[in-house]
Amino acid sequence: MSRIRVLNTSILLFAIFLLQETIVSRINFPIDGFSLYLAALMILLSLEDRNGALVFGFIGGLIMDLSVAADTPFGQWALVLTAIGYLFSVNKESIGDFTDSPFIFLVFISLASALSLLLFLVIGAMLGQEIGALTHVVSIIFANTLWSFLITPLFLPAIIKARAALLSNRERA
Amino acid sequence: MARGGGNRSRLLLILLLVSSLFLITLDLRGVNLAGSIRSGVATVFSPVENLFSKLFSPIGNFASDFRNFGQSKSKIKQLEKEVDLLKSKEVLDEDLVGQLSQLKNVLDLAGRGGYKVVAARVINRGSSATFKQTLTIDVGSSDGVSKNMTVISDGGLVGVVKSVNTNSSIVLLMSDPTFKIGVRIAGTQGIGVVSGQGGNKYLLQLLDATGEIKVGDVLVARGSEGGRPFVPGVPVGTVTSVQSNASSITQNADVEGLSNLDRIGVVAVVVSAPKQDPRDSLIPKPAPTVTVFITPTPSPSASN
Repeated sequence: MSRIRVLNTSILLFAIFLLQETIVSRINFPIDGFSLYLAALMILLSLEDRNGALVFGFIGGLIMDLSVAADTPFGQWALVLTAIGYLFSVNKESIGDFTDSPFIFLVFISLASALSLLLFLVIGAMLGQEIGALTHVVSIIFANTLWSFLITPLFLPAIIKARAALLSNRERA
Repeated sequence: MARGGGNRSRLLLILLLVSSLFLITLDLRGVNLAGSIRSGVATVFSPVENLFSKLFSPIGNFASDFRNFGQSKSKIKQLEKEVDLLKSKEVLDEDLVGQLSQLKNVLDLAGRGGYKVVAARVINRGSSATFKQTLTIDVGSSDGVSKNMTVISDGGLVGVVKSVNTNSSIVLLMSDPTFKIGVRIAGTQGIGVVSGQGGNKYLLQLLDATGEIKVGDVLVARGSEGGRPFVPGVPVGTVTSVQSNASSITQNADVEGLSNLDRIGVVAVVVSAPKQDPRDSLIPKPAPTVTVFITPTPSPSASN
């Protein structure tokens, strides 16, 4: 994995983060909200090799830590998404080829988003943060999973194409 | 070879996890790394948010409009009549008119309460992935806004300023589960604490278990010392149901907020507390009901 690809992918992730923070979070979804950024990051992590999943999980987490609305410690999302990246890397074979089974791939992406949010909450609770009512938390995680499942097919091809464009010639071969 | 690759991955994992934990530790120990970085990001994002707010402001509510479609169905016929009327007039931007109306009402509320305010437009909402219910408004330290100022809308309390940048601020909404405010039942001396529950429903814990509380009671902010974070007298919500439990040391009640936080477009930040507590003067008055008296006229056949 070349440095230039790390840089380019980080820029891509930051652009998606900008979209999330400025447009997607403005939309009042019928049940709570949807994180475009988290879903897009999960797609990228699932396409990466072992080291790529770890590195982009960490970088993606650092970018998410930049959220101006967050008052969690800087590095919390980095920790969560590095762990998620690790889970992706060790279970890479079981994800399979998404072109063969796009439905399972979507379910996988949605559940991975939910797991990230859950892990973020658990680590937050361990750090002494107030997490609020259980029903509220469950509603946010459920809504995010549902919207990820429904909306991800709309932008999945774009993310895959963007990632393919960032690959070096050696990686393509 | 594979073993070497596995070891390298493991080493990378440990390195990244340790880096994350190091960053968290720095933040928790008070090294203001996140504050300055997030402030920089907010400064960069603020003009973009402003631009997108102008471009996409009607889009934000499309999903909630869709949700209320069933309720709206009955209004369609009435609206169709109004459309005919509007066609003959100059039609202004609907969104702008709504914002102007909200601005007028919030300034009216602030004027009645004697609050010195800075009006602001909502330019963004916090992402749900942060588990925080926040708004971004287009005023910041350059407009005299600072941390822990009360934010109100035409209905009443909205939240409190959580962080401030040069041209924008983050408001923690009263619906956030970590939000708590001391309230007084209007017209009585009963006091309690209202806490956010995630939606437009709130929980009131009345500190006096024997205190009287009933459905329809309006709650107003008690106010904090120096008006920070809460100025007194701001309407907070209305009691919708009372949970009586004889064994409890506090009395609980469900409260409905007076501000519709989902559709808020214009708010006001209270930069200076009133000289006198407005007490109950800001409570919304119920709309007057029109009573029509009909005197039956005797029919000609009856007089014969």
